[in-house]
Amino acid sequence: MSRNVAASQKRAWIALAAALIFHTGLISLQSHQRVDRGFVRVWILDLLAPVEKLADRSLFSVHSVWDHYISLVEEHEENVRLRHENDSLRMELMQQKEQILEAQRIRTLAGMTDSHIGKSVIARVIGRDPARNQTVTIDKGAVDGLRPDSAVITAEGIVGRVIHASNHFSIVQLIVDSQSAVGVMLETTRQRGILNGMGTRDLALDYIDDDNDLKQGDTFLTSGEDRIYPKGLLVGTITQVGPRKGLLKAVQVRPAADLSRLEEVLCLIDFSRSAEIADPAQAVPAP
Amino acid sequence: MKTYPMIRINTLAIVGKFVTALIAVVVIQGVLSFKFKVFGYFDLPLIFSVFYGFTLGNPIASLLIGGSLGLMQDSLSGVVLGANGLSKTLIGFCAAMAGSKFAVDQTITRILALFLFSVGDSLLVTILGLMVTPAASATYSSAFGTWLLSATFNTLLGLVLFGYHDRRSNVTA
Repeated sequence: MSRNVAASQKRAWIALAAALIFHTGLISLQSHQRVDRGFVRVWILDLLAPVEKLADRSLFSVHSVWDHYISLVEEHEENVRLRHENDSLRMELMQQKEQILEAQRIRTLAGMTDSHIGKSVIARVIGRDPARNQTVTIDKGAVDGLRPDSAVITAEGIVGRVIHASNHFSIVQLIVDSQSAVGVMLETTRQRGILNGMGTRDLALDYIDDDNDLKQGDTFLTSGEDRIYPKGLLVGTITQVGPRKGLLKAVQVRPAADLSRLEEVLCLIDFSRSAEIADPAQAVPAP
Repeated sequence: MKTYPMIRINTLAIVGKFVTALIAVVVIQGVLSFKFKVFGYFDLPLIFSVFYGFTLGNPIASLLIGGSLGLMQDSLSGVVLGANGLSKTLIGFCAAMAGSKFAVDQTITRILALFLFSVGDSLLVTILGLMVTPAASATYSSAFGTWLLSATFNTLLGLVLFGYHDRRSNVTA
């Protein structure tokens, strides 16, 4: 009996060693590449993302029914009788409103595709990183032209960059991720700098030519120097200028795009380095 | 016509159920943390790794389940592929080993295990991530606060899950 237990324990330890070797090998393979294109991730992403998309769609339907119908019924119990009469009309109206809003968002994004940022594709956000990092999953992938480092933006501002692209889905690293850095310039003075993600909802200024005149409300645009985002896209606004820490003041920037409410995004798939967004502030002479 | 033994069909059904459950856990975590921000603090794959470790009591099955959950979690996120896989493999294995040595049906044991596994998982995944892609400006103090908060959430949800499992076991017993 004890021999059986010992043999089973031995098998368990051997299995653990094999599993650890497998995972360590997988990790060390990626340490030699900045962006991994491992087939394992592509396979699993292609397997899981459609299920995630389906779940997202189902939840979206339930959520919109809850938001637009059930909660209203709860809030206005005294109008139950009238509400029943109008149920079908309300539902129809809500659906149409939702569709109009969605169409408006898509039209805004589509309008941007005609600008100077090259070819682009509209994608829908279908999930957020289950490991609490600042990434989202979108429903467009390599087949649609997305590659690692493709820029992802909205009409409000930049969102992030693609870090893994499977055939039909991609993982987007948000600009607030602690591993993210964006080359920026101040809208008014055109001073160049770098904004880093902090893993929270804000960005931190990591470098700028001169931080003496920075003040709350100043806006940062992309500088194009990181060769990921086209020049002149809105990044965010300074929310706080703290005391100097070392060489630089502690400056916090709130992203212009609402990263917690992303639904549709625009992915730049053919961004020409020479092409730059028409930037109205470009006309402002540097001091 | 070829006939398959009943035992093989049963095994396939059990494996199929497990695979579906594991995929569901990762997908639910991804979708819910997108829709409801608070779900970002939960780590369903971790809770289920501990749960299966404790309830199955089979180290090999538990480390396979933990490893699969971790790998799927890595694939849907931007972290290094294998970081959560390695961490959840260890957690599944340790939970199964602990299940045979300690009284894991005690609430206090479960609280301690879930909390420590959760903090350990965050620590290990962060270290592995930093080893491959060093963070430019990671805020470790706030990260530690998030780990503790997340560990508390995981412990609470884990206890609910174990409680549900206990009730079902008592009913079927």
